[in-house]
Amino acid sequence: MTVEKRMKIVTDKAKSSMTRVVSLVVSEMGLRGYLLKRSINTVILVLFVIVLNFTIFELLPGTQAAIANLTQNPKVHDTRVIHHLQIAYGICKGFTPAGDCIPTTFLERFLAYFKSMVTFDFGNSYSSGKPILDEMIHEGRLYNTLMLLGVSTTFSILIGVFLGVLSASKRGSLFDNGSVIVSLITYSLPTFWMGLLAILIFAQTLGWFPPGGVTPATPQWILSPPPLLTRIVVRIQYLFLPAAVLTLFFYGGHLLITRATMMESLGEDYIVTAKAKGVSNWGVLFKHALKNASLPIVTNAALSFGGLLGGAIITETVFFWDGLGLWIFNAINNKDFPVMQAMFYIIALCVIGANLISDIVYGIIDPRIKYE
Amino acid sequence: MAAAGLVILLIFLVLAVAAPLLTPYHPKQEIVSAPLDPPSWITFYTGTGGYSQNTQFSQLTFNTVGSGVTITKNSQTSNSLDFAVDSTTGGKIQLVQSLNYPYQGESKDFLGNSIVIVKNRSSPFNATDYVTKLYGTSQEENFTFWTQTLTNAQTYSPIGSLDAHNVAQRLGLGGTSLNAAEVIFNVPGTYRYVLELTLPTGNFHADVSVKEFQLAVFGNTFGWMGTDDSGYDVFTQFVYGARLSLVVGITATIIGIGLGLLVGLMAGYLGKLVDEVLMRFTDMMLVIPSLPLLIVLVAVLGQSLTNIIFVLGFLGWMGFARLVRSQVLSLRERPFIEAAKASGAGTGYIVIRHIFTNIVSLTYVNLALSVPAAIVGEAALSFLGLGSLTETTWGRMLAEARGGVSLPWWWIIPPGLGIAALSLSFILLGFGFDAIFNPRLRRRR
Repeated sequence: MTVEKRMKIVTDKAKSSMTRVVSLVVSEMGLRGYLLKRSINTVILVLFVIVLNFTIFELLPGTQAAIANLTQNPKVHDTRVIHHLQIAYGICKGFTPAGDCIPTTFLERFLAYFKSMVTFDFGNSYSSGKPILDEMIHEGRLYNTLMLLGVSTTFSILIGVFLGVLSASKRGSLFDNGSVIVSLITYSLPTFWMGLLAILIFAQTLGWFPPGGVTPATPQWILSPPPLLTRIVVRIQYLFLPAAVLTLFFYGGHLLITRATMMESLGEDYIVTAKAKGVSNWGVLFKHALKNASLPIVTNAALSFGGLLGGAIITETVFFWDGLGLWIFNAINNKDFPVMQAMFYIIALCVIGANLISDIVYGIIDPRIKYE
Repeated sequence: MAAAGLVILLIFLVLAVAAPLLTPYHPKQEIVSAPLDPPSWITFYTGTGGYSQNTQFSQLTFNTVGSGVTITKNSQTSNSLDFAVDSTTGGKIQLVQSLNYPYQGESKDFLGNSIVIVKNRSSPFNATDYVTKLYGTSQEENFTFWTQTLTNAQTYSPIGSLDAHNVAQRLGLGGTSLNAAEVIFNVPGTYRYVLELTLPTGNFHADVSVKEFQLAVFGNTFGWMGTDDSGYDVFTQFVYGARLSLVVGITATIIGIGLGLLVGLMAGYLGKLVDEVLMRFTDMMLVIPSLPLLIVLVAVLGQSLTNIIFVLGFLGWMGFARLVRSQVLSLRERPFIEAAKASGAGTGYIVIRHIFTNIVSLTYVNLALSVPAAIVGEAALSFLGLGSLTETTWGRMLAEARGGVSLPWWWIIPPGLGIAALSLSFILLGFGFDAIFNPRLRRRR
């Protein structure tokens, strides 16, 4: 049994999951109907995520116990403080003249939560007391994570697709088998271990890169920043290892899918015609074969975004990269539930958004939908 | 290829099952050496200069100083001595443990004790000096570890153990960065660990019992994989971690595959509304990113190995459910199912006896291929600090290894390599099962 045949089975399985979409497509009234149906699906998904998020934090035992701990601290004797906390944590909505708590109902809590999720007003973090939205945007965490993810996604797709195309064109050669094996290996190594090894080898032993952080932790960096070019170079130094680890982990998936679909499309008749016409090798590969093979590649790239976010959480933790992932890590250690809830929501939204974008792009690229 | 996978898996199974035989220590209860010791085999490529290993003082002897002192020995073991002492003019008793220190390198830490119990004293409240001293070698340098004046018949022992840290403070090295073990044990030679009792003048009698009189000298290398930052053996943590990874990985996967089978069989066979609802739910669960959901669930439910197993299982069924459903959909239309229905078979019988037996091979393959995801998932959760707080898993080892200033390679490489090798073995095994059970992949002869 050859590696090709195995890859064919894998792609067949991936394709069978996409036949659902295609069957949806063929029965629709063209592009507009398709987009409408996918948008409705997205809205339902967002509602599902909101309900799931609320369920986890409301119905599962941990949060209520933690809040009870916070509000029933025996060292706090001033009942006004306790009442204040109980209102702030949403347990009571008011107090009887006797001082007893009027509890909020499940529905009231859910409606308040729903409103906060839809308006992106997540409240304050338990550990820092500042509004969560503020901390996310103004402290630069969102920007840092986007930078890391953006660079990693771009390079992993570019490298994966390019090497996949080369692999498919040199099918069966040492390069082909070698790149498949390397991709499988890097895909099955745990990301945090790869990150730690990278720090061990490149930062600690060789000293080429810093072992962590986004910017140097010296006062001069903030008080008297160096010129722009130096700043860019230093930031690239800090960005290199985490981005390299993420890219290394994810390029394998893109390579394997590209290779599988390219091998199929290279077997078509029009490729023979193109070669007979005299189109150059590169032209055949990229202008003809890749364009026709790009559909599964694009959808796979968008669908892998979910895994990329999870990998980013771990990579940010390993490299102390001050972004959303490190924030979740600190929130876990501090039992900061609002931050965890908000971050889970945001990440789920990003993944759902990526799926919607992939559906839209699929709808635009696939002519079967346009001309239906 | 499957053979390679099987071999690797067997190695880890042997490691996991035979863990108590392979290492006499407990992963987190016995200090075996100094903290952050690299493994002892590095001397193969760095040479032995500057490196040392663990040794221990032994060969308890005793002697008396002074003419009027007599000792009547009651019992003696390798580190304790029971005796009665009579003296007329005062003097000293010395108990001596000796060590022939063979290593070129300095020691990094030591750990010791001594307990003295005095009973039936004849003269009340006359001070008897009780001094523990350590004698060095060539320079005959003496380092006094502890001095205590006996005022009553009771038990005396140093508060806080005799380790390099405490002794450094007593020797006055507290403010400097000098390690007492490096200062004391730094050249090969004979060392003596002496417990000296000074007796009062005049007629004196007492029953003395000395226990736990020993000193273990820790080297700066240890064992197969070195030590962690508290002095626990990394190799022990590694083999016990293999157990935990295997148990968690396989159990979580079984739960996931079981749930996937259930959902897939129901959706595929019962069709129509049940199918639609179940598949919508599966698609929705598939979209949600798995690691953030895992994090949130474990943070809320509490950190324990059972919680992790259940959470990993409850989030790992979706892919397999889809696969099973598509297989069942195609099997459902086959003539033999129709024949079974015509013979009067009920739904349950058909599903179990006919349909399930035809997808059993698919189950084995997916079981093997899904275990790595569970293993890495558990490791990722432990690495983020959400793992079990009582058991030391491989992920937790990696998390703890980041505690210091620099990353110790002997603590980082083994757990990660273990995770990677175990994952690889299951993947290879899965490919092997695939080749056995899936006729499309068999090479045409």
